[in-house]
Amino acid sequence: MGAYRADEDYDYLFKVVLIGDSGVGKSNLLSRFTRNEFSLESKSTIGVEFATRSIHVDDKVVKAQIWDTAGQERYRAITSAYYRGAVGALLVYDVTRHVTFENVERWLKELRDHTDSNIVIMLVGNKADLRHLRAVTTEDAKAFAERENTFFMETSALESLNVENAFTEVLTQIYRVVSRKALEVGDDPAALPKGQTINVGDDVSAMKKVGCCSA
Amino acid sequence: MKNSDNSSSSLDSRFNQTLKNVQGLLKGRSIPGKILLTRRTDPLEDPNLHERTPSFGRSFSENDAGTSDQMDTSMGSEARSTSKLNSNSTTTKLKPSYSNIEIASKDVQKSPIGARATDSARVTKFTKELSATTVILERLRELAWSGVPPYMRPTIWRLLLGYAPPNSDRREGVLRRKRLEYLDCVAQFYDIPDTERSDDEVNMLRQISVDCPRTVPDVTFFQQEQVQKSLERILYTWAIRHPASGYVQGINDLATPFLVVFLSEYLEGDIDNWSISDLPPDKMSDIEADCYWCLSKLLDGMQDHYTFAQPGIQRLVFKLKELVRRIDEPVSRHMEEQGLNFFNLLFAVQLSFNTRDPFSSCYPPVGYLPC
Repeated sequence: MGAYRADEDYDYLFKVVLIGDSGVGKSNLLSRFTRNEFSLESKSTIGVEFATRSIHVDDKVVKAQIWDTAGQERYRAITSAYYRGAVGALLVYDVTRHVTFENVERWLKELRDHTDSNIVIMLVGNKADLRHLRAVTTEDAKAFAERENTFFMETSALESLNVENAFTEVLTQIYRVVSRKALEVGDDPAALPKGQTINVGDDVSAMKKVGCCSA
Repeated sequence: MKNSDNSSSSLDSRFNQTLKNVQGLLKGRSIPGKILLTRRTDPLEDPNLHERTPSFGRSFSENDAGTSDQMDTSMGSEARSTSKLNSNSTTTKLKPSYSNIEIASKDVQKSPIGARATDSARVTKFTKELSATTVILERLRELAWSGVPPYMRPTIWRLLLGYAPPNSDRREGVLRRKRLEYLDCVAQFYDIPDTERSDDEVNMLRQISVDCPRTVPDVTFFQQEQVQKSLERILYTWAIRHPASGYVQGINDLATPFLVVFLSEYLEGDIDNWSISDLPPDKMSDIEADCYWCLSKLLDGMQDHYTFAQPGIQRLVFKLKELVRRIDEPVSRHMEEQGLNFFNLLFAVQLSFNTRDPFSSCYPPVGYLPC
């Protein structure tokens, strides 16, 4: 077994989950963000995978641990552990398949049933490059996001459009919540234990803006 | 997962068999019947030789259950071996110190050294078994443990899965009937408009149609639409006829080896050069039917891995727990004291296998998992 190796120092570790129907492009969003890779030949995800990447927010290093799971309904029960400790979520649908947008509501319910009410959620309309096949309008999705008080963005993992923005936005929002919460209780944010689940503060909803930067 | 009392003597013997296999694996040796990437150069090894250098190359494993006893007594808990995998040259050194192994190995079944003869001798044996009026499946299975020559796989797989009858007089007739039965099922369940399907069925078909194009995505043969449609029909028909589990992602990957093996009866050369259009349509329908039935037979033995609450997986987890208890009691006790749950442990292990991030960089703390 390899010895533990801290590949980098970080100030915060945030667990973010990717959810959404099968085939909407969750795994490619993950690989685009963490490795700048995209594969047209990707297989369906069985079980759970995860990858990490660190970004800078203010003068802090935020390490995102992003979990990716099978989209099939059958796997949801098996992977309920998946949600534990998540402080952020990207709820992905495919702009070319309307049914994946219709199912967003169910995903949102499941997410809210299993996570802290203050989790930062972003609705993500992926495959925005397939303009001629679009089946979900930006307006519909934006309206839904406003109603549900989530962030919203359209992305293309293939064209690398907005992928960086979507993840960065979610991580920044989580950071804002956590650092503000830490200030409120008078703690030094850097002193938060590493590798531990960080509870999002109670006042996150007040800070959410909606439809911050749709494509 | 508390201990239950379902351990029986047959369970015991199976455990011992598994122990024997694990023991072989720990020594960097091959498991009888399993294709491994290592092979010893010296069939009659010096018991005092503590390190062996296997030759490289993909080969069928040798049945060396007979010599493992010898290794145990001569080396005891100091047993060491190195083995090299053919591509990455990883060298593993393991120092097992399990006292139970010695006890378990006492009843290791002795098999004669050199039981696995040359390939041509094996082919002759296979041919002999297959030419019998009634194939004796036990004997065929035993032979097949060390691998089946590729061109014999279609016939042997059909027999061993219990799809083709052992009796050669009945074989053709049964296969003909089964193939027609499959066609009927497809007509009845698959070739109907969506309006005649329930919502669940529509969802299931949608899931399957999402997965088929991304099954074996790195082999161009599977990118042909006809192949993907075949796969879709097989999976959907199976799912409809097994409503307790329905289609579960991953079953697609269990169907593809059958497609390749049964197609290999008609398509020559490398799979990269195969084209489905080289095949007469009626042949494709037979192949598809054979895949369907063989997949069904395969899944019959593990459908409860996919049903609600996954009793099949729970059972395997129980066996693993029991195995660890027998192999390494201190580890087992430690896990119990720490309240570690095997199911979650496996979840974490699977995760670390799946993850592209080396887990040295970021291994999820066990605290993430419910215990």
